Amino acid sequence: MDYSTEVRRRFAAAVPNWVDHSDGVVVVAEAEDRTLGLWVRCHMRVVDSTIASVAFEVFGCPDSIAASSLIAERLSGRSIKTLDQIDVRRVAVELSIPTEKLGKLLRMEDAVLACKALVDAD
Amino acid sequence: MDYAATTPVDPRVIEAMVQCLGPDAVFANAASTHGLGLVAKGLIEQARSDIAARVGAHADEIVFTSGATESNNLALKGTFGEELPHNSRLLTTRIEHKSVLDSAEQVARRGVAVEYLVTDACGRVDLDALASTLQAKATALVSVMHVNNEIGTWQEIEAIAALCRAHGALLHVDAAQSVGKLPVLLEDWGVDFCSLTAHKICGPKGIGALYVRRGRRLAAQLHGGGHEHGLRAGTLATHQIVGMGASYALAEPASEMPEIERLSQRLWAGLAAIEGVARNGSAATSIPNIVNVRFPGVDGESLRLALADLAVSAGSACNSADVEPSYVLKSLGLSDVAAAGSLRFSIGRFTTESEIDRAVERATEEVSRLRSLAPNAPNWCLS
Repeated sequence: MDYSTEVRRRFAAAVPNWVDHSDGVVVVAEAEDRTLGLWVRCHMRVVDSTIASVAFEVFGCPDSIAASSLIAERLSGRSIKTLDQIDVRRVAVELSIPTEKLGKLLRMEDAVLACKALVDAD
Repeated sequence: MDYAATTPVDPRVIEAMVQCLGPDAVFANAASTHGLGLVAKGLIEQARSDIAARVGAHADEIVFTSGATESNNLALKGTFGEELPHNSRLLTTRIEHKSVLDSAEQVARRGVAVEYLVTDACGRVDLDALASTLQAKATALVSVMHVNNEIGTWQEIEAIAALCRAHGALLHVDAAQSVGKLPVLLEDWGVDFCSLTAHKICGPKGIGALYVRRGRRLAAQLHGGGHEHGLRAGTLATHQIVGMGASYALAEPASEMPEIERLSQRLWAGLAAIEGVARNGSAATSIPNIVNVRFPGVDGESLRLALADLAVSAGSACNSADVEPSYVLKSLGLSDVAAAGSLRFSIGRFTTESEIDRAVERATEEVSRLRSLAPNAPNWCLS
């Protein structure tokens, strides 16, 4: 497999970086696709309707690990109310992730939206 | 850490090859009848003798090819030539090299019945099952590799050959991974055809041979000159053949393998200290230079990128560019995740103790890091 420079950089730098529980609400949701070999758990801390921080646990390929790091960065600071979707195609383009791996990024989106649903229900 | 894929050329082999390169060297066509051609022919015949001696064969039973892949093609397709034999059945296993499996598919399209022998969890052929199959079905050819290229498991070739002989079947053996690591005694064992290569034992790439036992016949697959008893047309590559001969003369298992076994044990002892790690295959039935290890809880693709600096392989180098898990490991019963999360470490003549220690250190670091990215991963990720 060939990986973009940015995927390689993010993959090499990936270390556990969980959200703190200092204030606000922390929700956790999972998604997986065994046929794609991906499992992801999203941890999201929301303070006053704003996403304060996001972290992913990822069992998956380097592209998935790199994408989770970029998605976490992009979500931080956004309003939870406007979070209807993540543009994972844009993430894929930005990281030069091949289209055949888009399904894995969609599972990450599932986990994020499941977190939003938990916040909405709270 | 990828000697099963290929090896560096030994400086002594390079020295032998250089005498055949350059304007003042032995570059003449060995088929030419002038003096320089005869000198080249002499070097080729010396190499043929050295190769034959290493595998327990006669020099006139060695047919030069471009490598084991071509040899495997020639043995399988050549057995089932233009007219299929009455017993047009081929028995092989699902853990053979792709060049055997794909050739088997090719002859199957021409009407040859291809069946796959049962192997156990370590990849060993079930001899009772082989005997039963040979008893029940007339078979023209059995094709089994001596040593598996992904897990290092060796087969009991002498016993397999005896069964084939007793039932009138010919035996082809792919010995690409075994020469230099195990004794190879083709005539004594009763093998009919055997594929050989140079680049797995510190010889050059692009040269190999097929052992064809005296009296056995094959249909040529390349035509145009009648070289190599009419079995393989094309000008002989003198420098490559001389390199192969030198590499075979140097590849003495008794002198080389004790140190490789010591390093292999050091490698496995280090890797086994990582929690949950298991060996694919068995040390008892594998050659020591191949150690195939699965790392539960780590995605295989991520592990390969994380350890790219070690030059380890997911399995066969022919398949490593593919993200699909190893068909060999899946044939042994591993799940997709377990097969994908496995790595082949293979060592050889120039591997050092410090390289072994570095490999253990890096594998330990990266497995720990990748597992820490998914500490709550469900069981299917840990299988």
